Amino acid sequence: MSVVIETRTQATSTRGRRVRDIAHAIGSRSWLIWVAFLAFIVICAVFGAKIAPHDPLEQSLLDRLKPPFSTTDNGFHFLGTDALGRDLFSQVIKGARLTVFIATVSMLIGSVIGISLGMAAGFYGGIVDRLIMRLAEAQTAMPMFLVAILLIILLGPNVINLVLILPTLVWPTFARIVRAETLRLRETPFIEAAVAVGCTGRSIMWHHLRPNLLSRIVVLGVISTGQVILAEAGLSFLGAGVQPPDTTWGLLIADGRQYLATSWWLTITPGIVLGLTVLSLNMLGRRYANLAEARR
Amino acid sequence: MLRFLVTRLRDGFVVLLLVLVVVFFLSSVVGDPAEAMAPADSTPEQIQRLREQLGTDKPLAEQAVDYFGGIAHGDFGESLWQQRPAIDPVREALPATIYLSIAGIVAAAILGTVAGIIAGTRPNGIFDRVANMIAMAGISVPTFWLGMVLIVIFAVRLGWVPTSGNIGWKSIILPATAIGIEHGGRIFQLVRSGTFDELNKPYVLVARSKGLAGRVVVWKHILRNAAVLIITTIGWEYVRLWGGAMIAVEVVFAWPGIGQLVINAADRQDFPVLQAGIIVAGLFVVLSNLVVDTFYRVVDRRLQVA
Repeated sequence: MSVVIETRTQATSTRGRRVRDIAHAIGSRSWLIWVAFLAFIVICAVFGAKIAPHDPLEQSLLDRLKPPFSTTDNGFHFLGTDALGRDLFSQVIKGARLTVFIATVSMLIGSVIGISLGMAAGFYGGIVDRLIMRLAEAQTAMPMFLVAILLIILLGPNVINLVLILPTLVWPTFARIVRAETLRLRETPFIEAAVAVGCTGRSIMWHHLRPNLLSRIVVLGVISTGQVILAEAGLSFLGAGVQPPDTTWGLLIADGRQYLATSWWLTITPGIVLGLTVLSLNMLGRRYANLAEARR
Repeated sequence: MLRFLVTRLRDGFVVLLLVLVVVFFLSSVVGDPAEAMAPADSTPEQIQRLREQLGTDKPLAEQAVDYFGGIAHGDFGESLWQQRPAIDPVREALPATIYLSIAGIVAAAILGTVAGIIAGTRPNGIFDRVANMIAMAGISVPTFWLGMVLIVIFAVRLGWVPTSGNIGWKSIILPATAIGIEHGGRIFQLVRSGTFDELNKPYVLVARSKGLAGRVVVWKHILRNAAVLIITTIGWEYVRLWGGAMIAVEVVFAWPGIGQLVINAADRQDFPVLQAGIIVAGLFVVLSNLVVDTFYRVVDRRLQVA
């Protein structure tokens, strides 16, 4: 009885192990795909329309609403053309620039606010802590998306106003996590030593706390960049984002909406590019978090 | 418990007050509704007249008294476009939004919880990997885009359900699914890791060594212990829905709810309706927050000791 079981488990385990090894080898390197995709997006954002196969604004009414992979007199259209005969692939490349710019700048502003406030709350404690955390809590409990729409309708939809309002969605998370980490670190001997030696609060926060918070902050930064891209797409979709001739992926999705029944690619493809970008950020953020956790 | 409720109610009230202050501050100090509303070719006199009509020409203190006093009496001003109290269209749109939010969260809860428990009990299995990938993809795409993909497939191509509006029970299927996939993805991730954590606790080992079937252990023991986490997660996702996640979905499906109303009001520069919509949505965020917090407190007795 036991012999039979043993041979069987061994047989499945050798075969199983080989399959698992291969799956593992692919799985453990799958992050390269996400890095490659993000690199491609960054290149598109940096060079913009210069590397696009067509002029993103060049209209050609005879070649309007062509499906992906079609060829016209103007050449090959990888993702098809829009209602004015403009090349969709070139527009997606052009849209990468503003999308990436808005997301990165908003994330950076939000993270600086969140990190400073979170560190101050965790380090000083008491009334400072209570005030800051209440503010973060209240901010999360507000329908910020609607408030953002109100602000942008009042001030006019443009890139500057977007970059001012989007960080409000980001900073509470940074503040909460940095505060928790700071509270934990404050009890450790090296911070106690720094206090005993007579370092000022500001110098402890900058020279001792900040380097130790770095891995958490990187993970948060990567993931919240994706969140900002989604929020910006939502605002642009609702008409409270960037305005033409400027383009982001969210605006491309919105523009294609009225042709949804007949020319679905105008909506679906920019969304796939946007989704893959956010997915790459989420996957890499999670992978880095796992690595940092394992090192601890 | 009573003290807890009183504190929470006070906090909720403060948040709501903060929403009011922010909305007032934005509309009266930062921006000028009359300027935003007036057509591009209007003369300064016309804009001034509009200000008088809106009451934004008065001193700030007087405006604040009018605004907060009015809201205390349930008066949000007159809708400029519909010529009736601004709260009326909001009140009419409210049931549709509540209906959609509940349908969406039910879809998310079912998808996320069932898949999360199955995946959590067999970590790194085929189901776990596939479900994980779907959940990651679901939370990485905009919900409104997902809604449009569903429209193309199930309404345009297959013609199984209407493309938009609220006509009959079939209309709710697509918007609820779109919300379900995104918010279900987040619920899935937390339920999965929660189930996985429970799996390694001693009581599961005891139950197993008693000879209980795996199914019984999972659905009776683990589920009961993970229930607090699961229900709280669902609650947070519900709060997120009211915080703005639903607006674009309503617009995509032409759902006659508050999100759609607010966007229409924004297009027509109808500020009183826009403000009333934001404040009512804020009220629901605060209320659902309160319910989730209270539930968490009531169910998990350990928190009361701490």
